[in-house]
Amino acid sequence: MKKILRTNPYLFALLLLLVLVTINFILQPNFFSLRVLSGNLRVWLPLMLLAAGQTIVIIGGGIDLSVGTMVSLINAVLVTLVLPETGPSGMFFALLISLVVGSAAGMLNGFFVSLLRLQPIVTTYATSFVFSGLALLILPRPGGQLPRVLTSLYRSSPLGIPFPIFVIITIILMWLLLKGSGFGQYLYAIGSNADAAYTTGLAVSRLRFSFYTLSGLCSALAAWMLTMSMGSGNPRSGDAMTLDSIVAVVLGGTRLSGGQGGVVGSILGVVILGMIRNIISFASVPTWYQTLFNAIIIVLALAGPGVVRLFRRQA
Amino acid sequence: MLSAKNMVKHYGAVQALIEGNLEVSKGEVVALLGANGSGKSTLSKIITGVISPTQGTLTLDNRLISFTSPKAAKKQGIAAVYQELSLIPDMTVAENIFLGHEKSNLGQVASRQMNQEARALLNFFQNCLSERVQPDTVISELAPSEKQIVEILKALSLNPRVLILDEATASLDSQQVDRLFELVKKWKTENMAIIFVSHRMDEIFRLADRAVILRNGKTVGNIKIQDTNENELVKMMIGDVASPHQIKTPMSGRGDARLKVIRLNSKTLKDISFEVQAGELLGLGGLHGQGQGDLLLALFGAQNASGKIHFLGQEVSFKNPHQAMKHGIGYVPGDRGKEGLLMIRSILENLHLPSWGNFGFPISMSRAYADANGVAQKLSLKMASLDAPVSSLSGGNAQKVVIGKWLMGEPKLLLLNDPTKGVDVGSKAEFYGLLEQLQNAGTSIIFYSSDDEELLGLCHRVLVLQDGRISAELSADKLTRAELVAASMGLTTA
Repeated sequence: MKKILRTNPYLFALLLLLVLVTINFILQPNFFSLRVLSGNLRVWLPLMLLAAGQTIVIIGGGIDLSVGTMVSLINAVLVTLVLPETGPSGMFFALLISLVVGSAAGMLNGFFVSLLRLQPIVTTYATSFVFSGLALLILPRPGGQLPRVLTSLYRSSPLGIPFPIFVIITIILMWLLLKGSGFGQYLYAIGSNADAAYTTGLAVSRLRFSFYTLSGLCSALAAWMLTMSMGSGNPRSGDAMTLDSIVAVVLGGTRLSGGQGGVVGSILGVVILGMIRNIISFASVPTWYQTLFNAIIIVLALAGPGVVRLFRRQA
Repeated sequence: MLSAKNMVKHYGAVQALIEGNLEVSKGEVVALLGANGSGKSTLSKIITGVISPTQGTLTLDNRLISFTSPKAAKKQGIAAVYQELSLIPDMTVAENIFLGHEKSNLGQVASRQMNQEARALLNFFQNCLSERVQPDTVISELAPSEKQIVEILKALSLNPRVLILDEATASLDSQQVDRLFELVKKWKTENMAIIFVSHRMDEIFRLADRAVILRNGKTVGNIKIQDTNENELVKMMIGDVASPHQIKTPMSGRGDARLKVIRLNSKTLKDISFEVQAGELLGLGGLHGQGQGDLLLALFGAQNASGKIHFLGQEVSFKNPHQAMKHGIGYVPGDRGKEGLLMIRSILENLHLPSWGNFGFPISMSRAYADANGVAQKLSLKMASLDAPVSSLSGGNAQKVVIGKWLMGEPKLLLLNDPTKGVDVGSKAEFYGLLEQLQNAGTSIIFYSSDDEELLGLCHRVLVLQDGRISAELSADKLTRAELVAASMGLTTA
């Protein structure tokens, strides 16, 4: 049992998911239709990418409170660079720029946290205002429009498989490759015991720096997905996603203190979060109760793994 | 081959190292000795690149080198086995051994190959490790001695040219120590240079070719082992203070049993029954991890156990350490960094942690300082001030603080879980004096030690545990080294 939990920290998430799918299916009988399913995935995909980056930072023993505003910033950059008439080369250029902006933002966090050794919570909270301010500077009010090609690509289903599925498979593959490499070992080692990792001879600050950079890159990709799904820009579009990304990571079985967990769990966490919202809206809960219900269910879901552990200890 | 000359290290105004000199050649074992706070861990940390010196030169094969990180030292073939473990608890044995130099295939970690090589390394300690130690076992499931061995293998996997063993034998049992020494002798013939830091004199005489002695941050001696003896080394370590050897306190008035334990059972304990008198020092002996620590924790209410405990004539059942504390029971853990101290808080706060309640509301700080000063003097604590963080103290002094915090409350029963592990000779002597004072004041003490000499020297009565059972009770003329060793192996001599 212990072994299963160690290798699959998202076991609880999986169980919860099963329950939620059942409830969702009862409330919304066409839940499994391709149309509804891919519609849901399109809504969830940006947060999945964001949560993937957040997972890396959290496993490494940190936290990134600026990921949401990074999305807002890059969303603003994108709609400024890509106009309805922009051609493929312009889009490619915009992709490059957004990746550069994302990793630069992550490097800024990494610089403060790993080289100047500032507390990650405070630092990334502070930098989130920098990114937010830049977003407002670039795009003072909602606007802009993405070319048709991009928005319909996001809604397409090549080979009958919804576009988001391809992206999700890519994320998981990249994660497994990363996890299986030496880098993955160092990630867990540093999150688990940074001092031991240092005396072992790992380049701890450089590695920490790279965790935040990776998170920035993930934010850039998340911003792409979000922009493609919205078709336009909004300097506040991603702000609310920061806390969602952390909740998803924890729901997915990653320990907030670092050293344990994985991206696959976080992706399940995003699905759980999305399903909870689905269920609330389909259960015809009065609108003014929705936020409260939502919050209660999330708190219970977060407490779940802890309660399981408690029982196991007493047994 | 490796030489450190005129090493100086300052931490602000504190001089951790004033003039450290150390040389080691190929195929040589050098013992590095010194009381706690003498600068020997500072010196060995400089050699391994964990800290950088304020001044001094380090040469390897007559080339000047300077390390900015452990990584750089590792590249030059210098590896260290640390006393404070550098293992990652959530990772497997193999992953830990190869952390930082993974075997990989197309960028992916080759677990199977790592496991194979880890098994080959584990075979060095064949028959000294339990079945559960496999390459894919998670570190947190291992016993301290097994972790220490993994730590040794981790350093070894680098094929180092210079190996530093810093108190590496402190948590090993005698069989494991023997095996390690055989291996060290083999590595010597393979031209490895070894720096051996230990507090166990007998081990130094068994293993080392030369001894380098540090005192108060200075190298004060460099001597061939065959030209010296224990007393001379101790003298060099502690200066002109004579080393008081163990004294047995005469048992103070035998009253009623202060503590009576009847058929205590738990996951690790089986049918433990015994009594302790007021002012008695009862020893717990046996091999490592035979339930001694669990017994102490059960008495302290920190572990579940069934059975009856009578304390001061009334039946008690402590659900948590807080209740035990209220009854006047103190516990001194073996792992002081983890369980005993708030490392970043001040000495004052640590000393008063169990007894803040006695200082009124609002807390009378002047009285708190006065009391703490009294205890600090009693312990002859070497410190900058009571407001300095505990992390600024040397190992032996930090351990005194752990005991000091119970002295404040004048405990009726003190539980000691291997308190002198990794503590130098001088501090040990002071510590024994402290126990004597406590006993004279009527405190009962239950004392687990992994050092047999200590048990023989201090205790009137020793319970030997094996597999969670009391396998023998030794006292008076039965309390001999031979009996103790025999009983811990489950034998009885005629």
